[in-house]
Amino acid sequence: MTPGPPIVLRFFARFVPSDLREPITGDLTEEYLEMRDRRGPARATLWLWGQAARLALTFRWERAAHGRPLPPIGDELRSMSHMWDSLRQDIAFGVRMLRRQPGFTVVAVIALALGIGANTAIFSVVDAVLWRSLPYPGADEIVSIGEQRTREGRLSGPVSPADFFDWRREGRSFRAMAAYTETAVNLTGVGEPERLRGLSVSPGFLDVLGVHPAQGRDFRTEEETDGRDRVVLLTDAFWRRRFGADPAVVGRAVSFNGNPYEVIGILPAAFWWPTRPDMIVPLALDDHDRTLRAAHFLDVVARRRPDVPFSQAREELSLIGARLSSTYPEENTGHGPNLRPLRQALVGDMRTALLVLLGAVGLVLLIACANVATLLLARATSRQKELAVRMAVGGARIRLVQQLLTESLVLALAGGCAGLLLAAWGMAGLRHVLPAQFAALPGIDQLGVDTRVLLSSLVLSLLTGAVFGVAPALVASDQRVGATLSEETRGASGGAKGRRMRSALVVAELALSLVLLVGAGLLMVSFRNLTEVSPGFRPQQLVTTRLTLPYSRYADRPRAVAFYNAVFDRLRAVPGVDRVAATSAPPFSGLGGRLNLEIEHRSVESPLPVRAHPRIVSPDYFATMGVPLVRGRVFTDRDNADAPDVVVINEAAARSFWPGDDPIGDRISLGDPVRWMEIVGIVGDIRHEGLDAEANPEAYMPFQQGFVAFGTGLVRGMSLVVRTSADASAMAPIIRTAVAGVDDQQPVGLIRPMDALIAQSVAPRRLNLLLLSAFAIVAVVLTASGLYGVMAYLVTQRTREIGVRMALGASRASVLALMLRQAGAMTLTGIGVGLVGAYALARYLSSLLFGVSASDPTVYLAVSALLAAVAFAAIVIPSSRATRVDPLSALR
Amino acid sequence: MAPVDVSALGEFEQVVLLSILRLGDEAYAVSIRDELARCTGREVSRGSIYITLDRLETKGYLKSRLADPTPERGGRAKRYYTLRPRAVEALKDSRRALVALWRGLERVLGQA
Repeated sequence: MTPGPPIVLRFFARFVPSDLREPITGDLTEEYLEMRDRRGPARATLWLWGQAARLALTFRWERAAHGRPLPPIGDELRSMSHMWDSLRQDIAFGVRMLRRQPGFTVVAVIALALGIGANTAIFSVVDAVLWRSLPYPGADEIVSIGEQRTREGRLSGPVSPADFFDWRREGRSFRAMAAYTETAVNLTGVGEPERLRGLSVSPGFLDVLGVHPAQGRDFRTEEETDGRDRVVLLTDAFWRRRFGADPAVVGRAVSFNGNPYEVIGILPAAFWWPTRPDMIVPLALDDHDRTLRAAHFLDVVARRRPDVPFSQAREELSLIGARLSSTYPEENTGHGPNLRPLRQALVGDMRTALLVLLGAVGLVLLIACANVATLLLARATSRQKELAVRMAVGGARIRLVQQLLTESLVLALAGGCAGLLLAAWGMAGLRHVLPAQFAALPGIDQLGVDTRVLLSSLVLSLLTGAVFGVAPALVASDQRVGATLSEETRGASGGAKGRRMRSALVVAELALSLVLLVGAGLLMVSFRNLTEVSPGFRPQQLVTTRLTLPYSRYADRPRAVAFYNAVFDRLRAVPGVDRVAATSAPPFSGLGGRLNLEIEHRSVESPLPVRAHPRIVSPDYFATMGVPLVRGRVFTDRDNADAPDVVVINEAAARSFWPGDDPIGDRISLGDPVRWMEIVGIVGDIRHEGLDAEANPEAYMPFQQGFVAFGTGLVRGMSLVVRTSADASAMAPIIRTAVAGVDDQQPVGLIRPMDALIAQSVAPRRLNLLLLSAFAIVAVVLTASGLYGVMAYLVTQRTREIGVRMALGASRASVLALMLRQAGAMTLTGIGVGLVGAYALARYLSSLLFGVSASDPTVYLAVSALLAAVAFAAIVIPSSRATRVDPLSALR
Repeated sequence: MAPVDVSALGEFEQVVLLSILRLGDEAYAVSIRDELARCTGREVSRGSIYITLDRLETKGYLKSRLADPTPERGGRAKRYYTLRPRAVEALKDSRRALVALWRGLERVLGQA
């Protein structure tokens, strides 16, 4: 019989008290040998290792916990958990302390919940929109390519087809490149006719995104050509909604705009694209359109090869662009491709607004921390005796700090839980008020509390607890034991250190609040300025809708004009319809390009390119919109194809190209080929691109007359504008009936009131303003409560002193003045520091401002006064209590 | 009657002491554990036996002696335990207290 395996036992013996080593290893060996005989060496060895480990742990913990002699215990399990005991004790003690002071706890938890909740909510939005990767495999390889047109100050605009085809052919850095445009078609033949949102994409679009159809196939290259493009991919949601997820749909034909399209596949359910299309069709350009280089209407995405870095891809593409500029100087001088990561292109200028909000909630959390820290400091003072006694009997300082920190963390976690509830609730609310512009942001539809959000708020809570807990814990535990114990009846004040720290915290709160208030104030002034801007027309009682006449039935201009005139006649006959007109690009639609403008017999000296936005309108357009005629005349029905070509320009064009001169009677030409049109009138400016964008030079042309640069395109795609004296929302069925009465195959787009379009255009600013104002209000309330608390505390601390002063004949007024002087100094310091901070930070806001400078003194002055007033109120209430001190009872 | 301190011995300590009494000269950790399992049906971890024995010895309830090494144990010695008079007294006290407490409760608790 061999002796037991010595290694494990020798190792194990180190964990056993020396006098027990021999018998215990002996016992184990005995049982091991017995077990080996009965159940084999493998089982026995396993058993021995397990027993040795358990015993080692038991002795180890027994030692650590109790040393010897060992106190009575039931079994070793209880002592195993000893490691947690001190933490558990601290937590239990902390919870008890917090429950003993419910007032303090509730105030602190509310402050923390507001701070953590706001941060969690905004963090989850920022995370979803800016940081989480887009839902495509290898999403960081996907880029958006726009056309940069420096002459027009345009950083990234749509791309012309000829440029796209050249880029795609010559770009070596890309695995795939695709152009797309948004499209809308009428679905007929399956139940109710429905207007569908879609994308027209060149084949390769799905390769760029890394998406494969869940059923069926992707587009083939030849389906890019006109005439072979009657195929469609359906999105999963649309397939389920309209076809009940019937797999047999693949291979069948559906009818779009009356034409049959073969369903070649279904996209996966996870497919995401900002515009939420129902279906995707090939982008088929005819031979003429393919050669267009001056008409920009495509968006381009590409996937760069993984081995080609972004900068190299950009370089290659700009070389191609430079070559194209020299080959086609007429169209491409100053033009070039602009490569951006897809996310950056999608998020656009929302980025600044989101980061500003994130910064704002960060400030709110800092204020909450400072607030709770002042509360903790005040409380630490009232617990000073307890702490002093603990230190006097030998409590280590580190142990006290640990205890106080644990309490802070318990508090922070409670605040975090409440904050998470607030955040979940806030996010649910936020989803309902998000403006339409936000709906296209990545990740916004999955907004909610998930693991990342949970983790972030947990980390945030712990950090918060550490931030507001450390300083008070250090101050509170730093005591001259004897001094505190003997100070007893004098009303200890927490030492000069604690007092200084409290003042510093309040000053910090005031300063941070002022920064937030300045931000909110600047946004508020901007918003007011913006809503006071006249759009240049009367948007009330005006509805608009887009009509796109199919080429198949409206190839020539007279047919299109006849269609519109017939619709006008039908609508004018409806009671409540005052005026009706059509335009190629209504305001706030985002539609419209620019063309070179030439003036007969004259060259224009202008630092800017001499260009104007062409607008094709029906004669009654200006009257319908309420655009004032400044000089000359507007169009009439006599300005038809047989009459001389005429044009009406806006004031911006007159100002820019005829400074100090009268343009009426001059002749101009737009684009190629030259075709002179006589200026017959000047109309007021319309803020076409938004209330915050200056009006551009515009040239209006009557829709009966020739305008050739885009063929008949501009006349086939027009928007109706209808001015009504009736309810604008009741116009939708009337317009649909009128259009269907003229052509029952003609779909009608979304019918929207013009003032809703304007409201939507400022909705992101409004949301920004609302959120920032809400955060500023929270900040001010927290600061005021912090100030109130500190003052109330100081009054209590100085009751005896005040009593003495009053006993010696000080008046109530002088006592009040004494208290106010101290608080006033803190307030002024806070506001001063805040003004400097606000001035330094406000420039980050400048891209969000309108009509107000980031350093506008009025705003700074006004919010300072507001904060001072709030601070005064928070100071004066507790201070006036000091004047009611009864000298006798104070001295007793 | 002198006041009886029932809590002088923990419940587990009593069980261990009784097992040692039952085993007489043969009481060492392994046999104590086996005896305990046989009488009470309770499987006790090795660690708690060692620690309790150690504690009882420190408190002066037990004395132990190291026997000669044997080959079955890999040449290691056994530590045998016996009760000191204090332990017997404590057990008696404990029993008295328990019996006094039990008396008259037969009907309430059934045959038990």
